[in-house]
Amino acid sequence: MIKVKFWGVRGSIPCPGPKTMKYGGNTACIELRFPEVNRHIIVDAGSGIRDLANHMLAHDLPKGPISTEIYLSHTHWDHIMGFPFFVPAYIPSTTIKVFGPVTYEDEPLEAVVGGQMKYRYFPVNMGELAGKIEYRRLKEEPLIDLGDGITLATTIINHPITALGYRFTFREAVFCTAYDTEPFRNLFVTDPEDPNYDELMALEGEEAAREQNQVLERFFHGADLLVHDAQYTRQEYHRGKVGWGHSPIEDAIATACKAGVKRLALFHHDPERSDDQLDALAQTYCAPDSNDPMEIFFAREGQEIIL
Amino acid sequence: MMLPLTPVAAESPMSDRKTKLDKIRAFVDKMPSLSTTVSKVLEICSRTDTAPNDLNKVISLDPVLTGQVLKLINSAYYSLVNKVTSLTRAIIMLGLNTVKNLALSTAIIRSVGQAKKSKALPIREFWAHSIGVGAMAKLLAAEQGLPIGEREEYFVAGLLHDLGKIPFGDEYTEVLTLAGRTQEPLVQVEQRLMDINHEEVGQMIASKWKLNPVITDAICHHHSPLIAVPDNRQLVATVALADFYICLFDIGFAGNRFPDEEQLAPLLALCDLEWEAVVKLAGAVDAEIKKAEIFLQI
Repeated sequence: MIKVKFWGVRGSIPCPGPKTMKYGGNTACIELRFPEVNRHIIVDAGSGIRDLANHMLAHDLPKGPISTEIYLSHTHWDHIMGFPFFVPAYIPSTTIKVFGPVTYEDEPLEAVVGGQMKYRYFPVNMGELAGKIEYRRLKEEPLIDLGDGITLATTIINHPITALGYRFTFREAVFCTAYDTEPFRNLFVTDPEDPNYDELMALEGEEAAREQNQVLERFFHGADLLVHDAQYTRQEYHRGKVGWGHSPIEDAIATACKAGVKRLALFHHDPERSDDQLDALAQTYCAPDSNDPMEIFFAREGQEIIL
Repeated sequence: MMLPLTPVAAESPMSDRKTKLDKIRAFVDKMPSLSTTVSKVLEICSRTDTAPNDLNKVISLDPVLTGQVLKLINSAYYSLVNKVTSLTRAIIMLGLNTVKNLALSTAIIRSVGQAKKSKALPIREFWAHSIGVGAMAKLLAAEQGLPIGEREEYFVAGLLHDLGKIPFGDEYTEVLTLAGRTQEPLVQVEQRLMDINHEEVGQMIASKWKLNPVITDAICHHHSPLIAVPDNRQLVATVALADFYICLFDIGFAGNRFPDEEQLAPLLALCDLEWEAVVKLAGAVDAEIKKAEIFLQI
């Protein structure tokens, strides 16, 4: 069994307020519990991790020292900004392993995550964290054995910096993430009238983008729950958001459907999106379809799902 | 690395300046020009709005460069599950910036590598020093709050800053030995013994290769950044500070074990940094160097 709980579902920046009470205003943080083997995993350290920390202090710490693993989808700020507020990191008995990808141009993972913990930004320096914290850079890997029967696969998704999709498997249950990402697309000139047009390049670009998208489809195959970037509608996407690294809702649904996913959580909601707007979008996109058994919903802060 | 401490007879100029200059000029003349590909890669990569088609075309024109870039992409650094066999695919999968940076560094190291002839400086140690200065300059640029897109130029400037040492022949061993013995800054010993220094020689190469003014200034003035034009001074000072650090901590070897300590305070002031902030980058610079060393394995 994997118990999944959403602690933050928002993209870009926290947006608390009367318009986001229902779906929540915290940025990405998902908790996975594996009760049979007593393991605890967190995916992303957005602002939602602060409430999760409070929950762990109240419920887990009394049972013994906290031990957890944090998997970062990537190191953009909305996915790491909660880390300095993860209180267990300040307790000497805590053990935390932080995993995540690092872009070629960037410093080591520890420096990227710790960069926000400098006195000029935050009153506590990275070195002052009392818990035992280890950092490990993750690459694309077909299979990592995490012990206790939990396995992990990672794949490169399409974002302006290196970002990874995760696939956790435990016994029969499969949990997948794919954010922040947008569909791979042909970056080369495809208009034969354009002086820079090169037929071979255009065709190969088309094929490469299609194949990369198929790689993702295979990666999601049969997942019990897929948490997928769905920041924009297709119309919004085509109005100036192409290349920003986020997916149209329609594409997320189509991909999940082709991959035979059982439940799709639309995730990384735009900070401008109000509860009413999300409810309205849910009417359009999440209505049950008799031809397709896949359940679709907009992820909501506090929501729990058992796989 | 230990240098043999052979006795030096006298500290007088080894011969007259004209003969020396002629010899060096002849060497620089014979150095291969920066290939058209490399010039074009430099030109295209220095734009912020590089088009995927342009980048793909300019690299593809050179099959060897294409092969090297793909080899890097398929190296342990990325360890991709599926092998990437074409540039087009690499650009779609890893993005334009990644491919741009790989191509740029590969192209430059290759052109300089072909020109290296001197026996005085061991090539691997020389590149370890140069990569160290490049990596540190880039980290210092980040520390100064420069955006990612502008940091690559610091890496390239650091990588190339000692280009002027390449044409020095075997007599350079004598300069290195003396600098090691007297613990003087290398550039002073060069001037005294050879009546020319590596900044001047660097200027000749930079003009032959038509390197841009910022990188040229880093090559010509990294031992005296105040001479650089005001617009370039901060970059030149950053490279100089990186050079100071890398020399002080003996990372690689390019002849200068005893950087001029009087330079440190003015350099820190020019970069608006504290020495503590520089030293704190030790772990990061080691990791960067390790990462950049894959370029030497091509």
